[in-house]
Amino acid sequence: MFRYYLLLGLRSLRRNPALTALMVVTLAIGVAASVSTLTILHVMSGDPVPSKSRRLLVPLLDVGPRANYSPDRRDPYMTQSTYPDAMNYLRSGPGVRRTALYGVMASIEPARREDPLIDLSGIATTTDYFPMFDVPFRFGSAWSAADDERGARVAVLSKRKAEAIFGSKDPVGQRIRIWDTDFTIVGVVGDWNPVPRYTNLINGSGGYFEGEEQLMVPLKAATDLAAEPNGNVSCSHESAAGWAAFLASECTWIQAWWELASASDRPAAQAWLDAYVAQQQRGGRLERHAPNELFDVMQWMDFLKVVKPDSKLAVWLSIGFLVLCIVNTMGLLLAKFSTRAAEVGVRRALGAGRGAIFRQFLVETTVVGLAGGLLGLALSFASLALIRQQSKDLSAVAHMDWEMLATTFAIAVLASIVAGLLPTWRACQVTPALQLKSQ
Amino acid sequence: MLHMKDLTKVYRTHMIETHALRGFDIDVKEGEFVTVTGPSGSGKTTFLNIAGLLEEFDGGDYLLDGVSVKGLSDNERSRLRNEKLGFIFQGFNLIPDLDLFDNVDVPLRYRGFNAAERRRRIEQALTEVGLASRMRHYPAELSGGQQQRVAIARALAGTPRLLLADEPTGNLDSQMARSVMELLEQINTAGTTIIMVTHDPELAMRAQRNVHIIDGRASDLRRGPSLVQPHAAIA
Repeated sequence: MFRYYLLLGLRSLRRNPALTALMVVTLAIGVAASVSTLTILHVMSGDPVPSKSRRLLVPLLDVGPRANYSPDRRDPYMTQSTYPDAMNYLRSGPGVRRTALYGVMASIEPARREDPLIDLSGIATTTDYFPMFDVPFRFGSAWSAADDERGARVAVLSKRKAEAIFGSKDPVGQRIRIWDTDFTIVGVVGDWNPVPRYTNLINGSGGYFEGEEQLMVPLKAATDLAAEPNGNVSCSHESAAGWAAFLASECTWIQAWWELASASDRPAAQAWLDAYVAQQQRGGRLERHAPNELFDVMQWMDFLKVVKPDSKLAVWLSIGFLVLCIVNTMGLLLAKFSTRAAEVGVRRALGAGRGAIFRQFLVETTVVGLAGGLLGLALSFASLALIRQQSKDLSAVAHMDWEMLATTFAIAVLASIVAGLLPTWRACQVTPALQLKSQ
Repeated sequence: MLHMKDLTKVYRTHMIETHALRGFDIDVKEGEFVTVTGPSGSGKTTFLNIAGLLEEFDGGDYLLDGVSVKGLSDNERSRLRNEKLGFIFQGFNLIPDLDLFDNVDVPLRYRGFNAAERRRRIEQALTEVGLASRMRHYPAELSGGQQQRVAIARALAGTPRLLLADEPTGNLDSQMARSVMELLEQINTAGTTIIMVTHDPELAMRAQRNVHIIDGRASDLRRGPSLVQPHAAIA
């Protein structure tokens, strides 16, 4: 009978093409609006590393002065670690891996004077960064722990930057000159560009979604060469002049990460942090006695408000718009089905039960939903393309994925079924005797 | 075939109770052609709707082909309607979007026949009413008389035991009315029981039996011998 209902549905929709088109377009616009905003929210708020997002932790301490401190008010700029804390974490912190990173800018000096400089933005970090964040390699590998220890002049490039400088050939072993020093290329990262850029959200370029680490060098090499941080530096105490004084200061400019063996190790990591802070306080630091916090990946993105409140508001507004479209479609279906009361009466007289009528009309509304879904999908692609043109940040997140593609169809069909339920139910309630006599 | 005993039907609104049928008794034997007459508002249509399981009744008993219909679910009533009854309406009630073939197909679909069986029955029914050559025409392309013939074919295709006709000639001119009446008589002669509501005294007189309804009660005005031996019109 399904095929019969489907044929009847198609025939009924063909009977009144203007009304059908209106219903399909109404649904499609509602679906496209909600799917476009949902897609963006989905990418923005999605877990970028689901396999270990609960095991990767960012420790955060409040290193500000006691004066003017209010426990109820968090310092919005205190989102990174000091260099001394980061070094202590690296030396003796908890977890199976620990890393620290800060943004750097560098210009590759050309071999010939007349060639232009090539600018690179990237990070100074430690070798644990690569396995901690599952960074794949196209050529070569990460530098070693020994390279970290001695601050070896080695570098890893992004795939795109390596190709821009060296073409598609393997550049491992080649040298680049940055900060007046030769660095040997030891690796080229493969296709890896997590969105959001959760590993380095407080970066000097690109923001939360756009951009990549083009250059990665050992943290000690960068600090030995006094490579200044390219990113947010927050200083709450006076400090002496000079690079060494900056490193020893209470300025926060380094991001620390710990990888635990299991998410259940988190209480132990918290205990370690609390003990570390107590020890530092005995030495006269960390006067505020503020809570010592740990964030996993999703908590970290939430804390930094990666998804802006207006993105969430846009989703709610678009869902409201979809509801409006459903209500409109419901009205159109009611009008359409009310003209078919006579047909329902005849079918009931000829042996159709209420269930059969319900199924027939439900299939018809589902056909409207499928058509609305197809058109909604096309409109979603178009609106995402339009959104991509609005800003660089949006261009990184406004992409349809399979999950959202399936969601588009599901929303359209579900919306049409919801829109069709009341009209269908009313169609089933037709009193056949009344309809048959009134013909 | 159809047995109603002490049947009552009351329509209620906030203010008014209307007794459409009261103490209504009727017994229709298999193979009979019964015409039902009566003034407007006497309860003819209510009787036909209850007989056709399109409306519920409030009291009394109703046996259709030996089955008590009291308390049957909507599905059971629909199945009974589909298997045992055929309807012919004054307004034809064809579905305008469907061609003749698909119109006749409607009750057969709900009966669950396979495609070959449905085709055989549809072609046979349309042949019987003389419209086999216009199977792919739409109702709007036919005259009133032809549309009523299609409605008769639709009613016959499922081989009903009882055909209920509500003023089937009411919308037709006298020549077409005669032709439709002759067709119904042929169907009855072939064995199908027919109950026909009519306002036309001439048509009422042509049946073996005429039941008159007044104030919701039935009385036999004339009863003649059955002219036919019951058997199915379409096997």
